[in-house]
Amino acid sequence: MDLMIDVQGLRKAYGDGDLILKDVNISFAPGEFVTILGLSGAGKSTFLRCLNRLIEPTGGRIMVPRSVLDGSSAQPDPGRSPELVDLATAGPRELRLWRRRVGMIFQQFNLVKRMSVLDNVLSGTLGEANLLASIFRSFPKAERERALRNLDRVGLLDQAYQRADTLSGGQQQRVAIARALMQRPKVILADEPVASLDPKLSVQVLDTLKRVAVEDGITVLVSLHVLDLAKTYGDRIIGFQGGRIVFDGKPEALTDEAVERVYFREGYEHAPATPRTGISTSAAGAV
Amino acid sequence: MLQQPPEPGSQPQPQAPSKPMTEPQAERKVPKSGPLDPAKAPSTPPRFQAAQPRALTAELQAFPKPPRHGWKAWAVAFVLLLILGWSFAGVQFDFKELLRGAPQMVDMFQRSIPPDVSTLTDPERYSLPEELGLKELILPMPLEGELAEVKDRWWRNTFPNTVLGATLQTIQMAVAGTFIATLIAFPIGFLAARNTSPSPIVYHAIKLTVNFLRTIPDFAAGLILIAAIGLGPFAGTLALAFHTTTVLVKLFSEAIENIDPGVVEAVTATGARYPQVVSFAVVPQVIPDFISFVLYRFETNIRAATVLGLIGAGGIGLIMNSDFRMFQYPQAAMSVIVLIVLVMLVDYLSARLRRLVI
Repeated sequence: MDLMIDVQGLRKAYGDGDLILKDVNISFAPGEFVTILGLSGAGKSTFLRCLNRLIEPTGGRIMVPRSVLDGSSAQPDPGRSPELVDLATAGPRELRLWRRRVGMIFQQFNLVKRMSVLDNVLSGTLGEANLLASIFRSFPKAERERALRNLDRVGLLDQAYQRADTLSGGQQQRVAIARALMQRPKVILADEPVASLDPKLSVQVLDTLKRVAVEDGITVLVSLHVLDLAKTYGDRIIGFQGGRIVFDGKPEALTDEAVERVYFREGYEHAPATPRTGISTSAAGAV
Repeated sequence: MLQQPPEPGSQPQPQAPSKPMTEPQAERKVPKSGPLDPAKAPSTPPRFQAAQPRALTAELQAFPKPPRHGWKAWAVAFVLLLILGWSFAGVQFDFKELLRGAPQMVDMFQRSIPPDVSTLTDPERYSLPEELGLKELILPMPLEGELAEVKDRWWRNTFPNTVLGATLQTIQMAVAGTFIATLIAFPIGFLAARNTSPSPIVYHAIKLTVNFLRTIPDFAAGLILIAAIGLGPFAGTLALAFHTTTVLVKLFSEAIENIDPGVVEAVTATGARYPQVVSFAVVPQVIPDFISFVLYRFETNIRAATVLGLIGAGGIGLIMNSDFRMFQYPQAAMSVIVLIVLVMLVDYLSARLRRLVI
């Protein structure tokens, strides 16, 4: 089986605190679109950030094919299983090579607000760009053209020279997708990409993400907390609960029982009980 | 209309409307066997239930009381009063002295009126060299050897001793001093910010050093520098640059520490290296603050340059000082007026500029 990421026994604790991730074992294939469900604090963000080591894992292995780091697109020998690298213990050079191929999308978009949309998109090439030239925002013509093409793919070509903070939230998130595309990513990690957007924009952003992922064969891991969106977009859904994966399967397999396992098993508290004052002074129910 | 009394065993969900749309959706999917017991489940979905309005009457007594501060507030007030009394005693504050001095103040004021406008307007004051016309003197044009020397001498020595020349020199000191300080403080600011410093050791070392150096006021630095390199605007400029650097490093580094870390995370995640992260994620976020700080320090430095003039470091302060010492009050008054106009002008312009960049 083709393999993009193989996570084995991943653990994470902050300081001496409790484990946020407890022995996570899971693997992802190239081109999969995986949605991740779970309550706040279930470990979704930590899991995603461990995969490109924005957060250092406490233990476990994150195996990725060496071919991704080398940039060679084709497997030299299709019959043999590809050589794997453990990212959890990789040195700074290999880590950077991996990050170059892993796009990341955030809830708060994290664009540089005072920079143009185009420069924001171009920042996706920093991992490969000439160090000195890029510091002074100078990029080769070919890269600028590629940036414009990627902006076109997310439908924002006309906004290329506007300042990023003049765009709406949904547009900013699509700029972030274009920025990730500049990395020619094999994987895109999206941490609650639509949590700050209204339902209509959420659908737009996820449509865009899904389309480019299918076109380029990118593995996408996206955490969502809207069940319907997760079912609609995911080829596969995984559910986190208390730092463990408690569901892994096709959207059809996500039964009510499985949802309860993800959301309600422990630590779930019902909404507050009856108000202490029994009297209401205005028209209750008129809302 | 009154709300229905809660049915026994029912479970109102008072905060439902404030919840995001999405979570109740998840709740709806809960099977009947789940933690929401069917007997206890509300008949309407929670998100359609109204919030509980607040009671305004005696029922309020059921709410928790705000914490009271009582004796602590009194203790703080008492200590503040003690400090105030102690300070006023220390400065020998005395209204009688103030009243006794009032006639002198009035006298000084009367003797300064009218201010001697001629220090500014009378061409005689500028002792223009006879060998040169105004055009040759002001415009940068090629001149014969000796004439060039005359021109040079006038610009270096004569003009800065006039009110206008000294005022311009004060501005020049502030511009040059602020510029040098900005150049030095810019890179150091990144080393002195916790989130961009290459190592905690560097961060602490620089912070400590700069905090120590900042305690040296600019006129103290001026006294030292004048003793070392002599009277004149150069020593004053260096003193300004020195003190401004220490202040700007503090302001810059604090601005850097307040940036949105999400952008840094995003740029780091692309595989960017440290200088690229600084250039793309940090600098664009802090540039408006930096410009604002530099302009603000420039305003401050105009005033500081004047004070430095009083101790012999050139500029309008020097002229004012010598006027006062020679009891030439009308002239001194004119210098004060020029200074006031200058400071107001600079404040106004830099406020406009700052509004442009923010």
